[in-house]
Formats: sequence, structure tokens, C-alpha cells
Amino acid sequence: METTPAGNKKLTLEDKLALVKTKKDSISHITVDETKCLKCQNKPCLTICPSKTYEEINGKIVVNYENCLECGTCRVACTDGAIDWQNPRGKFGVAFING
Amino acid sequence: MSSDNKVDVIVVGAGPSGLSCAYTLAKKGVEVLVIERGSYPGAKNMFGGIFFSPWIEKLFPEFVNEAPWQRFVAKRRISLLAKENDVSLEFKPNAFNTPPYNHSFIVKRSEVDQWFAKKVEAAGANIVCEYNVKDFLYENDRVIGITSGGDEDSLLANVVVCAEGANTLLSEKSGLRSKITPNRRSVAVKENIRLPRNIIEDRFGLEGKQGAAYEFFGSSVEGLLGNGFIYTNVDSLSVGVGFSIDDHIQKMEGKNPNDILEQFKNHPSVAPLLKGGETAEYMSHMIPCDNFDRLPTLYKGGLLLVGDAAGLVNASFFHEGVNLAMASGVFAAETIIEALAKKDFSAQTLSQYKQRLDKSFVMQDLKQYRNFISFLHSHKQFLNEYPALLSDILSDYFTVSDKPKGTIKKEILGKIQKKVGFGRLSRDLLGALRNLV
Repeated sequence: METTPAGNKKLTLEDKLALVKTKKDSISHITVDETKCLKCQNKPCLTICPSKTYEEINGKIVVNYENCLECGTCRVACTDGAIDWQNPRGKFGVAFING
Repeated sequence: MSSDNKVDVIVVGAGPSGLSCAYTLAKKGVEVLVIERGSYPGAKNMFGGIFFSPWIEKLFPEFVNEAPWQRFVAKRRISLLAKENDVSLEFKPNAFNTPPYNHSFIVKRSEVDQWFAKKVEAAGANIVCEYNVKDFLYENDRVIGITSGGDEDSLLANVVVCAEGANTLLSEKSGLRSKITPNRRSVAVKENIRLPRNIIEDRFGLEGKQGAAYEFFGSSVEGLLGNGFIYTNVDSLSVGVGFSIDDHIQKMEGKNPNDILEQFKNHPSVAPLLKGGETAEYMSHMIPCDNFDRLPTLYKGGLLLVGDAAGLVNASFFHEGVNLAMASGVFAAETIIEALAKKDFSAQTLSQYKQRLDKSFVMQDLKQYRNFISFLHSHKQFLNEYPALLSDILSDYFTVSDKPKGTIKKEILGKIQKKVGFGRLSRDLLGALRNLV
């Protein structure tokens, strides 16, 4: 088992996301405008998102919307306005217990 | 709800601002419907962990005895982190140990928001959960209701109160604010880390319901504009970091907020406090840093913005949000009660809301700290250089050797003069006195 300097079990981001209570919708609440993404140099969405909702695969931005913790940071960071972020429909998305 | 699909007031969002507004209205017999997108109030909410309670105690004097808070804040610690060291100041006055406990409580939002929501329902308001408001309904430019997107799913109201939180999708659609820019928001990530109660109490020096609030500045967040924190719950810790989105975009290539949180958790001054803990939950949320000078317009015909949606967060060292949010909710309700009496929901009448905020601590505090963020942006030495230097010179000062103390003092003064210069240091400290504290 990999441990942290505190001697605790080291969790990957994937491990942490598995702890979050979420109800996954069948449709994504996030869409990206690919033409804008292709022109984007920095792609802040790839690093600013706390739950790695965005991945770049073969030069294209792929949205893993089921990872989303609903903070909305990506939409703020994307100054090109390429991210269309809506609240998940009622009944869906995260339900925090210790917020 | 009336049969004609119209109520007096719709409140969008069952957080502290929306619930305070709804409670104040319901107590006066106003018909109010609160719409919450989460499965329960608090389901979509996250904050650091300290709930400053003067305003909730105004509404519910029984808060201290009855509400499901975790611990009261008996001890505050502010640490300046250098790479491997910290310089800390701890404050635990005995007066904090007795009611009203300095009006500072460590809470979990889902617990307190649900307690609060029950009080609001008991006062006569209706709360509907799992309903996502997609947009407002307009007549000319005046807001007359809300819609979830479907044609049949709309509700009318004389006034809509937007308490949607920091992610301002609806406020932007209303035209009261433009799209949020990265310099107006911080992002925070937090873990709930379980530890046995007795270990928490021994490790943090607590007894009974006492709690500790540790805040970490300096290199806690890689020199970004932000900080790290640990707050003690009954049998878990709230551990997190928050920092400016703008700053992150400019500097943090390849490091996501979780990486920065992990680095914070692994700092030699932090790791021992977390030892043996087991992470139970991971969350993220944005924090408004609109600041006094970048606040949105707060009202228009039929619509008021409250709480985080209005940017009403004192984003200084005080990190005060909930208390301002609740005050704004009450001021919105008082304004609406006047508007209902006049049957006039125009921007002119609702402008009384802004007047109330201006006269209160809400706007006065935001004004007081209007330069806090910009000062730190232009004086990054307070985040990096100065904590490191302070730790360095204290190490020199307290390192035991047979070197004469006078020589050590001279060396330290020489180091300060060489690394910073006394002129610049005194100018910066005066600036800090003016803008930061």
C-alpha cells in the first residue's frame, strides 16, 4: 500500500471521486465548443478542474461529466466561452454530506 | 401554492441567504416558495467549516442550544508556512469557552442547512427540492417568475430572490452581472478526514465541544493567492485549500487543485495532524472574490440577488460569507415586505435593498477590505518571500551555538537588509497595516 508522509493510505483522485455520492444522469450537463477548444492554447480546463472532468484525447477535449463536483470553476476559467455548463437536472449530480 | 400558479415570492436556492429571506417573509405571513436543486438543502453546498452565527442567532436564539453544530471554535491558529517550517500564532481566550462561544461554530453545511430549512418550513414557507431553475420569466425587462425549461414547468411570482450561490448562471442570464471572470472567483477543495474523537481532542488540545480552527498562509498553496485550513469536527477533520482561479491559470501548469491539496496535506507542519485519518469525502466549490468594487447590480424589477450570488463575501483574512449572506437575505425580505404593501415591484422600490446593505456591516466590511486582494496581487512577497524570510531569521535566532548573540543579531539584520531592505520592508508593513488587517 502506498502511504503519505503522515502514514495514511495514499488516495488517487479516482479513489477520492469514488467516495462522492452522485447520481449520474444519462445526458451530460456540460458541452464544449470543439472549434473554440482547437484554437485554445492553454486549455485551463485540463488543470483547474478539481475532478479531472476534462481530458485531451487525440487533440480533442473529452468531457467526463460524471466526475463533475459542480463547482463551476471550469466555466469561469474558460474565458473563450467554449464551455456550456448547466446545473445537472433535478435529482441528478452530487449530494455532499460533509460540505 | 395558489391554484393560478403564482406565489408572492419565489426564492431560488435553499442556502443561508435564501433560507433567511424565506424565513423572514414567512414569519410575516408572506406566501413564499423556496426551490432547491439538490436532493436536500446543503447537498450542493460546501464551505471551509466555520459558521459565524450572529445573524442566525438573531433569527433563532435557540441556535446555540439546538442546532447540529459540530464544535465551537475555542482555539484559532494562524500559521505562516515556509517550505519546511511554520511560524504560528495561537489564540485561545477563555471567553470563547462559554456561550455564546464567540458566535463561531464548526459545522457541516448539510446538517445546519437542513436544520435551518425545517425551521423555515415550520414558519410556513414551502421548500421544493430536486428542482432546477433554468431561467427567469420576463415581462418586458421585469422578472415575473421562473422556469425549469419545459413550457408547462413555470411558476409566477411578484418577486424572485436569486440565492443561487457562487456559480451565477441565472444572475448572468438576468443581465445583472456579466460572465464571471477568473479574477472574481477562488476555487476551494476539501476533504472530510475521519479520526477518532479522542485522537482529535488529544492532538489539538481540546475538551468536550471545543474545536480548533487552523489556517495556513504562505506556501500552503504553492505561493498562490489563497490558503489552507484544518477545522475539527466531532470525529473528523475538514481539510482543504482555496486559491484564486486567475492565479492558478497563470502559474500552475499541470498541477490541479487536488495536487495542491495533497501537497498541503504532506507539508511537515500539516501531515502529523492528519496521521491515521481516513478520507471519507472529497468536495469542491467556488468562493466569490467580487470585492466591493466589482459587485454586480443587486436588483432589477421583480428580482433581487442575495448571498454568494450577489458576491457578498468578505474575502479577507476573515473569510466571512454565511453571516453576510444571511443579513442580505433578511434585508431582501424586509424590502419585499414593503414592496408587497405598495404592490410595487419596480427596481425603484427594490432599490431599498441596496440602501439597507449600504447602511449595514455588509457593505461597510466589503468596503474596508476593498484592496485586500489587489494588495496581495501586487505584493506577492507576503505569500512567498516574507514567510520564508521570517522562518529563516527565527531559525537563525534560536539556533543554539557558541556564537555570541550580538553577532547573530547583526547577521540577521544584515540578512534582512540584503534580502529585502529595511526601507521596502517598512513600506510593505505599513501597506499591510492599511490594506490587510
